[in-house]
Amino acid sequence: MLLEIFDPKARPRPVGIDLGTTNSLVAFVKNERPVAIEDCNGAALLPSVVAYAENGVVVGDGAKVRAADHPRDTIVSAKRFMGRGADDAETRRMGPYEFVTPAAGEANVVKFRVGAGTGWERTITPVEVSAEILRALVRLAEDELSSIGGAVITVPAYFDDAQRQATKDAGRLAGLDVLRLINEPTAAALAYGLDKRKNGTFAVYDLGGGTFDVTILVLEDGVFQVKSTGGDSALGGDDMDRAIAEEVFTQIGDGESAQGAVRSTSGAPGARTPALIRVVLDASRAMKHALTEADHAEAQIPTKGGDKTVHIERSRFDALIAPLLDRTGLACRRALKDAGLTKDQLDGVILVGGATRVPAVRAFVAKSFGKEPLADIDPDQVVALGAAVQADLLAGDGPKDDFLLLDVLPLSLGIEVGGGVVDKILPRNTTIPAAARASYTTQEDKQTGFEIHVVQGEREMVADNRSLARFTLRGIPPMAAGMAKLEVTFRVNADGMLDVDALETTTGVHQQVLVKPSYGLDDETVEKMLMDALDYGEDDLRLRRLAENRVEAHRLLTATGKAVANDGALLIAGERESITVAMRGLEEAASEENPAKIHAAIEVLDAASKEFAGRRMNRAIARAIEGRRVDDVEITTKKERESSRSVGSTAHGTR
Amino acid sequence: MDPFATLGIERRFDVDLPAVERRHRELSRALHPDKYADAGASERKATLSKAVEVNEAWRIVREPITRAEALFKLAGITVGERNEPKPSGELLMAAMDLRETLDEAKTKRDLKAIETLAGQVDAHRRAAEEKLRAGFADGDGKRAKIEALVPVLGELRFHKRFLDEVSAIEDAIAEADVAAQD
Repeated sequence: MLLEIFDPKARPRPVGIDLGTTNSLVAFVKNERPVAIEDCNGAALLPSVVAYAENGVVVGDGAKVRAADHPRDTIVSAKRFMGRGADDAETRRMGPYEFVTPAAGEANVVKFRVGAGTGWERTITPVEVSAEILRALVRLAEDELSSIGGAVITVPAYFDDAQRQATKDAGRLAGLDVLRLINEPTAAALAYGLDKRKNGTFAVYDLGGGTFDVTILVLEDGVFQVKSTGGDSALGGDDMDRAIAEEVFTQIGDGESAQGAVRSTSGAPGARTPALIRVVLDASRAMKHALTEADHAEAQIPTKGGDKTVHIERSRFDALIAPLLDRTGLACRRALKDAGLTKDQLDGVILVGGATRVPAVRAFVAKSFGKEPLADIDPDQVVALGAAVQADLLAGDGPKDDFLLLDVLPLSLGIEVGGGVVDKILPRNTTIPAAARASYTTQEDKQTGFEIHVVQGEREMVADNRSLARFTLRGIPPMAAGMAKLEVTFRVNADGMLDVDALETTTGVHQQVLVKPSYGLDDETVEKMLMDALDYGEDDLRLRRLAENRVEAHRLLTATGKAVANDGALLIAGERESITVAMRGLEEAASEENPAKIHAAIEVLDAASKEFAGRRMNRAIARAIEGRRVDDVEITTKKERESSRSVGSTAHGTR
Repeated sequence: MDPFATLGIERRFDVDLPAVERRHRELSRALHPDKYADAGASERKATLSKAVEVNEAWRIVREPITRAEALFKLAGITVGERNEPKPSGELLMAAMDLRETLDEAKTKRDLKAIETLAGQVDAHRRAAEEKLRAGFADGDGKRAKIEALVPVLGELRFHKRFLDEVSAIEDAIAEADVAAQD
């Protein structure tokens, strides 16, 4: 029965998705190599542009051509707005959009108004825009693969918690099972590492459409260990376009002198209307591309005073972007310092991101690191290819013991303490998953609540960092000031995402804490969006849950079956029988139509195999400590028993 | 938590860091959540908390200050800045001098002078680490001998903070240089 449900030919395949500022793409592992999935025209890159219109939503090239005529209804570079506040300075930079100011009490998220003044006017968030892009990629992937079994989505390494959360929400909204978020430079390194199979220390210089990351990592025996990461989540090829665009506006005479101001009041021929801003930005991008080969580029700009020809020399362009490159240089310097390395200790520098095609960027990297950078994998595709490799490691059938990514937390996490100062709890570049605790006490007598403000960033003062969440621990019994002991625990998972927990220890009051994101959408909103977007009825939801539970059942059955077959020696009397019974129960439940029953059977199997799993973990630890790999040792039963006993006592001693 | 036990290494100050790093890597290979993506909920939970513990242990052992703190704690000696004895007058005087020189160099944006200063403090840092290494080896678990080392930890904290400040000043100068070109 199970075999019918999980027909191997229709087996879900995991995919890797690069959700980029400018372009997005999806890849999967085919015959042990990652390949990008192309559309019917042979293009792998889907422009990250979403156009909203009366009769629906268009994504990609079709949306791009609408941008000039419908600048406000066509969202370009939505990634730059992910996880940002409506009042963020970055939000208001040159762009043709109409933003909606959130009402008091509403979540502080960016919202675009599209279809303004028409019957279909609506407001949308960057998360919804990104979900449209993801849905388009899913459709593309489904043409190639029978069905998709989860996705790894990449994010800039320097994305903070709110930006990661927004990306994960977009995945959920697109109906994807998001297996993992991984950092773009790390994904690129994975693609290179797989390709070259060479140990060493590498820097990844990743300049994308809207973000810059630099990552220093060590590749040793299949483990990709990130040493440090740095960057700027608001710096990329878009900024080069904007720099050229300022030059263009000057040439066509926009009647403004203020740099970067978005005003459209002037009657000048080149006045900055949303439509003209879009045209100029597109022309600027085209000239930037042309300057990769040519020394000189020009474009025709339709203004109120007729078409005007604008031009730019390569040398002028290089001068315009020099300050941007210097900013990347600072991040590189800091990343090297954090890794405790000098540039001479690097074995290579890897270029990632479309903007690294610009000759001045390559020259800058070569000069900064003192070596010619590697760019032999297409810098536009390398991130998605690496994500596909990781997806395959997580949910594919490929060998799992070969590779492992050990990534880090990009930005320090802390809590606001007295005087608006940050108390750092987890420093940047901590290997994840990670956890840390800190203790605080009350400031006033009979204080019954404790406000906790979670921030992310490197600066000393709260105001200079990113506010992630605020919550209040309530119900502390009245005590004298300084008597209550509050223990705050930060946990960062392998996605680099944070979970905060607070506990008053003297009374043992354990409060369930609700973390309300300062930026972004709460779970309820995402759930509601999901319902609206997919137009689910009750039956559809049940079917969806049924399918999800079956996939989970299948995964668990396969993993448990393998564990029993491989590690039968670790089973104690009667355990094999109870696990077998639980497995049969789950198989049976999965063959029926009741999702709740499958869920219950999963829990039964989990409980039946829990202690066996614990023994397997302890043995894995013992083997790691003895410096032996599972596959290249033969262990006598006696020795094995000894080692698992010694680790058992070690684990005991650490609690 | 005993970070040394978690990593399965000997409890000592003088650790072979590259070897411990390899151990951390092998343990990560055995415990990382990626390896348990298909496992049941309780197995995922158990391995995750162990992976977190292994990462924390490596974070503690790799840095001399946290490593020393862990050794004191395991010897039953309470450390932490509020519990340690105040640094000696001699150290405080020297500290004030150094800080004054650093402030001067910072105002003048004299990178050479800052570098020289950092070099001096770094030599002190290495000497303090050497004192801890020798002291812990000699103390061999004896509480009284180990307790006598607590002030050295204070010294090391001071040197570390000074060097962190130097690093922050260097970053700020580099940033200001880039901003000036904008």
